[in-house]
Amino acid sequence: MHRTESFAQSLRKLSLELQEVDFAQRGYHAEILLTADTLRDFARLMLEAEYFLVFMSAVHMSPAIELVYQFAQFNSQSRILGRLFLDADGVVPTISDIFQGSNWHEREVKDFFGIVFQDHPNLEPLILPEGSEDLKPLLKEEDKLKSCQEVSWQPAEAEGENEAAEPSGSEKS
Amino acid sequence: MPELTKISQPHRFFLNMGPQHPSTHGVLRVLLEMDGEYIIEPQPVLGYGHRMQEKLAECRTCTAFMPNTARMDYAAALPYNHGYAALIERMAGIEVPPRAEYIRVITSELNRIASHLLWFGALLLDLGAFTPILYSFDDREQILDILEDITGSRLTYCYFRVGGVSKDIDDKFVERTRAFIKRLRQRFDIFEKLVTGNVIFINRVKGVGIIDADMCRRYGATGPVARGSGIPYDVRKNQPYSVYSEFDFDIPVGENGDSLDRYMVRMREMEQSLRIIEQALDKLPEGPYRGKIPKKIKLPAGDCCFSVEAARGELTYYLVGDGSDVPYRLKIRVPSYSNLSVLPELCRGMLLSDLVAAMGSLDLVIPEIDR
Repeated sequence: MHRTESFAQSLRKLSLELQEVDFAQRGYHAEILLTADTLRDFARLMLEAEYFLVFMSAVHMSPAIELVYQFAQFNSQSRILGRLFLDADGVVPTISDIFQGSNWHEREVKDFFGIVFQDHPNLEPLILPEGSEDLKPLLKEEDKLKSCQEVSWQPAEAEGENEAAEPSGSEKS
Repeated sequence: MPELTKISQPHRFFLNMGPQHPSTHGVLRVLLEMDGEYIIEPQPVLGYGHRMQEKLAECRTCTAFMPNTARMDYAAALPYNHGYAALIERMAGIEVPPRAEYIRVITSELNRIASHLLWFGALLLDLGAFTPILYSFDDREQILDILEDITGSRLTYCYFRVGGVSKDIDDKFVERTRAFIKRLRQRFDIFEKLVTGNVIFINRVKGVGIIDADMCRRYGATGPVARGSGIPYDVRKNQPYSVYSEFDFDIPVGENGDSLDRYMVRMREMEQSLRIIEQALDKLPEGPYRGKIPKKIKLPAGDCCFSVEAARGELTYYLVGDGSDVPYRLKIRVPSYSNLSVLPELCRGMLLSDLVAAMGSLDLVIPEIDR
């Protein structure tokens, strides 16, 4: 994986930490836990480091909805997954002025989950018709909703450092 | 981005391109604010073909979702089969026999060529040239016939299974595919004479709809769109999956990122796909075409993604499992979605007729975008 030292330093400045994960098992190389305050700085950093936004989406779990941002590079094998757990007030800034591609992704997440992205230029329905704001089809019903421990990788007992270093569900929330 | 509800100046007007328009190739609507023949503000309006595939995936077992994967990008369904099958295999730790991987590569590449031939005909049709689609459909029919024999369908394939494929290929398939490779190589000369060297065609696409590398990065454009802008990004090379690392093939790239470059990239890609198929047929191993899989496939708790190179760019499935056999959440990142999102920035200030050329060169499949 091709990542420079200055990139790692800039991450540390934002007090963010990359966790390497097993690519063969997970399909991406590293994950990073973001907060609403660091998201925009992180996105700027990714643009400077020549990453592109593969996709952004959300997963409904208890206690909070998780936003997922995946970045990859055109010229090397590096795929990074950013996770952001929504606060109780549910405030998350847009990154559509940094990665213009996220404009539509954010509108889609607004359609499906009802999450409002602050300062988004045009948060009109994209995929769903107008007037379906209350539908939020990808929110889970109460009996189907799982806690974030239940849908996170559990560190295997006999596995190496990668697995042990993973944040467990409780740390994430 | 201004909201299009009011005309900003008295002599401007709105033009609805679609939802039923011959050059959107599907139910896409582009709302255009026009000033004469010039586009002031183009805004795609999506969702006419929306089926909520991501929710459907949460309502059935992971193996039962396989037919749905073919109903997004209907023009090249096998890479969608491939990505999904490989995702479940990665999550559940299922081994795939080598023969099955070879069959997957051969059929996926055939499907990619069929898709590019469809695009080739349709683009030229949009630009007013009726003849090329008759030639390209002739060749595409050959592929559909070959694939129909082993997959059972002509368009919305559900041929791949978790752990392999549903039916083995036979000598007849190999023979017909080899004959097709020979035939298509000769046909490239006809395409070259008929279209690529045609001055009317060149004038319609050269310098039209320029996308630079920075724009690809900001919008996440991949596939032939990114490669046309000189970015040699192809998941088959960048992050090799299946048995692609065993074959020798090139990634054609353009220089200027205009519609002509995207055209050239796709035309040259077909030749590369033929090379891959040829090598795969030569090296085709014996053995089972489907591995042993458990009756009930349980997905472990946690997330996992798998990316493949679909005909239009990078396709990424992102699945969150909860320990049962039903996905907790499936996100499908489709290439056309990000590729189309460049349209407003790309086409502002353009002539309406150039929009048709630029949009055609993006090779959009609308059901894939709407999902």
